[in-house]
Formats: sequence, C-alpha cells, structure tokens
Amino acid sequence: MRNQTYILGKLVEITIIFFVIMTALFFLFRLSPGDPISKVADPMLTPEDMRYIIEQMGLDKPIWEQYVIYLKNFFTGNFGVSFHYGEPVFKIIRERLGWTVLLFTSSTILAAFAGVFLGKIAAWNKGSRLDNVLSISALVCYTLFIPWFALLLLWVFGFKLGLFPLGGILSPELWVGNASWFVRMLDILHHMLLPLMTLFVIHLGSYLLLMRSSMLSVLREDYIITARAKGLSERVIRNKHAAKNAALPVVTSVGLSLAFSINGGALTEQIFTWPGIGRELIFAVSNNDYPLAQACFLLIALVVCWPIWLWIFSMPIWIRGLPIEPQGMVLE
Amino acid sequence: MGNWSKWRAEFCFYFLFLAVAFALTGLYACQKSKNSALLNIGLPEEPQSLNLWLGTDANSRKILSQIYQPLYHHHPETLEIIPWLAKDQPVFDPQALTYTVTLREAKWSDGSDFTSEDVLFTKQLFFDFKIPKYYSNWNIIQKIEAPDAHTVVFYLKEPSAIFMSRVMTAPMVSKKEWEPIAKQALAKEKPLRSLQDHPIEKPLGTGPFTLFEYKSGAYIHMKKNPYFFGTGQKIGNHILGPYVESLLFRIYGTSDVAILALKKGDIDYYWGDIQPGYIKDLKEQANIDLYFNKKSALYYMGFNLRKPPFDDKVLRQAIATMVDKDFILTRILQNYGTPMHSVVPSGNHFWYNPNVRKYGQGKTHDERIKLAYEMLKTAGYSWETPPVDENNNIVTPSDIRLPSGAAMDKFVILTPPADYDPKRAFAGTMIQEWLRELGMSAFARPMSFNSLLETVKGKHEFDAFVLGYGQLDLDPDYLRTFFESKNDKPRGWNMSGYRNPEFDTIADEQMTLIDTQKRKEIIWKMQEIILEDLPYLPLYNPHIIEATFNERFKGWVAKVDGIGNIWSMCVVKPAD
Repeated sequence: MRNQTYILGKLVEITIIFFVIMTALFFLFRLSPGDPISKVADPMLTPEDMRYIIEQMGLDKPIWEQYVIYLKNFFTGNFGVSFHYGEPVFKIIRERLGWTVLLFTSSTILAAFAGVFLGKIAAWNKGSRLDNVLSISALVCYTLFIPWFALLLLWVFGFKLGLFPLGGILSPELWVGNASWFVRMLDILHHMLLPLMTLFVIHLGSYLLLMRSSMLSVLREDYIITARAKGLSERVIRNKHAAKNAALPVVTSVGLSLAFSINGGALTEQIFTWPGIGRELIFAVSNNDYPLAQACFLLIALVVCWPIWLWIFSMPIWIRGLPIEPQGMVLE
Repeated sequence: MGNWSKWRAEFCFYFLFLAVAFALTGLYACQKSKNSALLNIGLPEEPQSLNLWLGTDANSRKILSQIYQPLYHHHPETLEIIPWLAKDQPVFDPQALTYTVTLREAKWSDGSDFTSEDVLFTKQLFFDFKIPKYYSNWNIIQKIEAPDAHTVVFYLKEPSAIFMSRVMTAPMVSKKEWEPIAKQALAKEKPLRSLQDHPIEKPLGTGPFTLFEYKSGAYIHMKKNPYFFGTGQKIGNHILGPYVESLLFRIYGTSDVAILALKKGDIDYYWGDIQPGYIKDLKEQANIDLYFNKKSALYYMGFNLRKPPFDDKVLRQAIATMVDKDFILTRILQNYGTPMHSVVPSGNHFWYNPNVRKYGQGKTHDERIKLAYEMLKTAGYSWETPPVDENNNIVTPSDIRLPSGAAMDKFVILTPPADYDPKRAFAGTMIQEWLRELGMSAFARPMSFNSLLETVKGKHEFDAFVLGYGQLDLDPDYLRTFFESKNDKPRGWNMSGYRNPEFDTIADEQMTLIDTQKRKEIIWKMQEIILEDLPYLPLYNPHIIEATFNERFKGWVAKVDGIGNIWSMCVVKPAD
C-alpha cells in the first residue's frame, strides 16, 4: 500500500512537471521576438498578405485561446502541422528521430563500453605510462571542437582518401538505380561511419575519465580489501567487484546523454548533413516554427522523464538483471 | 596487472566491429561510379515544401521553377520579358484596357494539354485563396476570358505598368491537378493553410523536368519532361533541351563540405552563393569553373526618419559622405561586388539611374571628414573640439551637438549577426568607426535576424540599421513599396518612415504608365529623390559567386543572379 502511494505520488509529480514544461514551452515561444513570418523579406508580400498568413496559422487569436487549442490538440494526440514544412509534426519527428537514434544511440553505447573498458584499465594502472597516455588522450577527446574534428575527418577520409562520402545518409546515384537492400544497408553504414566516429571520440573522453575516477574511488572501498583478503584473483576483483560498481555513474551518464542526444548533436548533424532531429530543432527555433519546436522539446522532456518512470516501476527488477549488479553490497 | 593478454579479447570486440565496417564500406565505395546522364547539384538546405503555395523559400523555388512555368520569362541576357508558355508578345488594347495572350501548344507532364482553361483556373485559385503575393499582384485584373483553348484576354481595372512583370511571370498550375485539392481546401476553416499543407507528391508542370522521387533528408531526383514545349525551340537565343536525362539534388549542411564535394566531383554545380574566402583555392583547381555575376540585390543602411537625430536630411547626407563604399568593397567584399550608388542595382541596366547624387565619391578619408564637417557645421551642428581644427587638420573631436545645442544621444546601428552575414555585420562596425570620427556616439549592434526585422519593421524602435534584399524583382516598382508614405505602418516595407508627397505622386504615376520610356524617366526621378533625401543609403551589391565541376557538363547560362536558372537547366550538355 505504502509502495502504491509512493508510486502514485511520483506519477502525479512527473505529470505536473510535464504539464509545466508544456506550458512554459508554449509561452516562451510566443514571447520570443518575431513570429513564423517575421523572417520573410519579400517586398512583394504586403502587410495585408502577412496578416492573412498569420490568421491562417491561427496566430491572430488571443494567446489564451491558442493555449487552450494547444492543450486540447495535445491531449487528443494532435501535435499540429509545421508552419514551415506544412506537414504533420508527428510525421516529421518520426522521420527524423530514427536517424538520430541510429547515430547517437550507437555512438553513445559504443563510447560507453569503450570508456568503461579503458577507464578501468587506466584506474587499475594508476600512475603508469599507460594511465597517463589514456588520461591525456581522454582529455584531448573531451575538449575536441566538434565542427573542427568533424571537418577534419571529412577532409582526410572523405576528400583526400576518398574512402567515405562527404555527408548525407545515402548515395543518391545508387538509390535511384536498382541496388539491392543489402547494398542499400551497406550504403547507409558507409555514410554513418564518419559521424559515428566523430561522436564516439567526443563521448569516449568523458566516459573514460568518469570511469577512471569512479573506479579509483571504488578501489579504496573496504570490500575490495575484503575480496583481496579472501584470496580472489586480481582479475576477478578488478572486473567483477570493482568495475561493476564503478560503472554505475557511467550508466547514469549514458541515460542522460541519450536524452540530450536529441538536440545535442545538432552540430554533427549539420556538418554531416545527417537529417536528424537536432538540426530540425535548431531550424524550428530559429524560424519560429512553434508546433515543430514545441514537439521537439516535449520529446526531450519525455525522454528525460521516461527513465524516471521506468525507474519507479521496475528498478528492483532490472537493476538485478543487469550485468552491473553491485557486488559485495547488500540490497535492501 | 599489466597483463595485456587478458584485455585483448575485449579490445577485439570494438576494433573488429570498426575493421569489418571499414573494410566492407571501403570495398563498396570503390565500386560506386558516376552516371553521366545525371546532373548532380548541391543545395545548401532542403526545400521547404514541394507545394508551390508553401514552398516560397529559395531552395524550394530552385526545384519548383523546373516544374511550374509562367507565361513570360525574362530574357537571360537582355532581361526583357519574352514569351515562354505564351506564343508571342501580348496584344494591348488601350481603349478596352485588355491584353490578349496567345498560348503555345504545350502539354502538362502527364501528356494532357495546357489550355486557356488552366490560366483561368490559376487566376481563380489566386483569388479564391487570396494567395499571398500573387493575389495582390493579380488584383489589377478585372476579369479574364478565354475565347478559345489557346487565347486568353486579360481585362485590367486600370492601366498598369506591372502587368507584364508581375502578372505574366506568375507560375501556371494545372486545373486537372489542383481543382479537387482547391475544392477540398475551400471547405475548410483555414482554406489557404489547407491548400498549402496539401502534400504534393507528383506535381504536374509544363517545365523541362518533372519530379521523379523525393527522399526527405537525402535527395531530390527529377527526370526530363518528355512533353516539354521548349525542346528543340529557340527561345531567348538558346536552343532548348534539356540535354541531360536527370537532375539529382543533394543537400550539404555547410558550404565547407559542399566545396569539398565539388572539388571531388560528387556534384557538378553547387547552387548556393560561395563566400570569397574559398575563391583562391577554387581558382587553383583545373576542374572547377568559377562564375561571378551581378545580383539583383540592394544592401543598404536605413535611418529612422520618424525621430531625431535622423529626421534631419543634412545629418544623413553627412553620414553618406563619411561612408567609404570603396573601402567596404575592397576590404569587406574583397572586390567581389560593386559599390551601390542608387537604390536600383546597376546590373538592372534599363532602370538604373547612374546620375544620382554620389556622396564623397573619389574623396580621400580626410577629405570626407572635412566635407561632412562643413555640411554639419553649416546646418548648425557644433563641437567643443571640432573634427577639423583651425589649421585644417583632422583631430579627435568632442561629442557632437545638435543644432538645438543639445548633445546628440548615443545611437545604435543594428546589423544581422556575423554568423548570418559577416559582410553586413562588418559594414556596420566600419560605419560606427567612421561616424565616431565626427564625434557621434555610434554603436553597431548585431542582432538575430528575427529580432532585427521585428524591431525595425514591426515596432519601428530603432535609430539605424544595415539590411539587404538578396533577390529584388527586376521591375523597380519596389521603390514604391519601400518609400511610399502609405507603406509607413507596422510591418510595412517603408521601414524608415519616409514621407514625401512629391515622391508619392510620381510613384503612383509610374504604376499606370504602359510606355516604358516615360516610365523610365519617372523611375530615374524617383531614384534621384531618394538619393537626395536618403531614407536608405545604398552600400554595396555583392557578386553572386558560383562554381561548377567542369569535367562532365558544360554550357551554363550566366545572367543577373547567377548561373542557377532555368536557362542553364535547359541548355547544359554533357562535356563530351
């Protein structure tokens, strides 16, 4: 009963947070300077034309009326139509989100695995030459300027060596022909590797440093001494007792990275012409495309809130099932 | 510790994945080849929409202009208006105020006939939906009649000089395609929005290409229209093709990458403006051709004439004297452009008045200061320490005082930010420095483009600004739009708040003149008035710089606004 009340309380809390975010988003966009057509600089458009366009977008109505329509639409599953593209926002997000997830999820997960692995090694060999090399490399990766690094990769691998395409998600000349599905998949992979490499390197630094620091702190714990006293091998202590506990902050960080990857990769998407949601979000904000921008931010809010929901409902189950089950500690 | 053999297996997992991927994709990359029938074109952004009524951005127009065609087009070299879907020049009846247009034997891309019914339907669509821009342009028409399938008679409400340039250059749409969509949209609460939001997957057009496939976020594939009326015809001094089978548009998020793609030969033409910084490198490439063309554009400094201090004409003229356009041209535009002396670009040969007043032209920097100082002193402006001392030397002045004796307040020159347009941002900074040499507290302030337009055009809360029109219509009727008193209203195009009854009278008069020579005289007079009163100070007109990969295709047609035009798409041929 007490658990049910707790879960119910959390649900209400999240719902309120979500509602506040929705409201804030609605008013923030309306309060920002200009409107969806303020960027239009065509002298042939008269002020009357502009008023008519605004009216057709429904932006001539009082702001409270617009807000009620917005809430009504949202709760009936209607996210509206993009002012810019004239397409349902849901369709745009569905098309773009897939590409973002494909690129960012793979790069984040790969970087997290590599970061945990290399961070573990660095911490285990603290003070050695290997540790220094790894730590300095991680710092370099962490502080790399994304546009510079992305352009460098494109210049070397795409232009000079000609091994990879210069951006995009596929080779049009191949797709307009009769290429098989296997070749098309290979083509997408081919296009994905450079942006993937960029994001992998950028993320790797932070995960490696986080894991190293976490591992060093875990290695000072009493249960590690106990494990040694029990005569366990160094490998078992390092991999099973220390690394799994030390990986917990990395897992938290990965969760947040996934949530923020929706907008965080806009620069990478821009340079590699990757049609993801980050580029779309920046574009929607700068063009005052309210329905699209609101939906993108709501999606971010949803992704941030979603792990909390998941945590409430299933934390006891999934935390035990994961390979990072804390060893040497007692779960209550 | 330090036992590498234990870690090797884990390392292998990551590197195996990357190695396999690299190997597979590398092998695959070697097998790709270029199709010589495809003309590959790079675009800086994805088009907004392929719905003609929504896709009004530059990139949508690049695609849609290959599909939807007007009755008349501008000649690529002379810029005269010449028949396109129309067969001949229209016959004007001054008594009945009618234009009779005979149509060509043309077909839509599905093989159906293009007839006068389509012209009538297009007009009805503009009026039923009050389609922005087209409706206000076509509102000069009282009615249209179609005596037969290939003749259309336009009845005007009153004589109009813009009939040819604004009405006849509007794109025609197919009744067959749009009638059901229009019926459906008219029944909706927001008819225009419904029309604009209607998805168009296979647009019907009369142009040289048809849309074959649009893969959002990746490419747009257009194929040659077998029914194109111009194939084999000599129009505008060119025998039209198209001579390529397909156009393939791909998107490049940054110009850096687009330039690499061009150098590598991934694309044959980048349909975007290239910044001067790339030119040196591109000139060294044997397989790249560069094109420098004039733009129908106006980049200018505007003043707020509604309040002091810029309500004083002498102050504006003194500022114009201080602004060194040659410096802007050489240092900011790196000589890729022309200084602008009138509000009509010099590339628009017929309407451009070369005899307008030119402030400080040919003067040195010190001479400009002395000239501006004399103008201001004569008008009653004063300084404790003037910018020119008794010995006629230039000195650092104290703050300038207005003729009333009050100190001139600090004022702000709003510019777009440098990441949006470095030229305008730097021009604003230079003007700030020049004006400080006269003791004015000028501050250039970059502002996001949205906010800038809202502040200047919507709220009129500004002192001065630097803005520009990148693609001005070739008909100079925009002078009326920019400077007529009735357009001084929120969101009106008379952003400076310029009011001059003499100008208003002749601006309205030129609208009704069918005789182009007489109209030209008035347009020249309008330019003289504006350059005397200076609500806008024209600054520069940058060249449009474009590049092509010359190994596969040749025959690009250069005109004002560059080689990216329908003429090029109709005449470009494979190089061999």
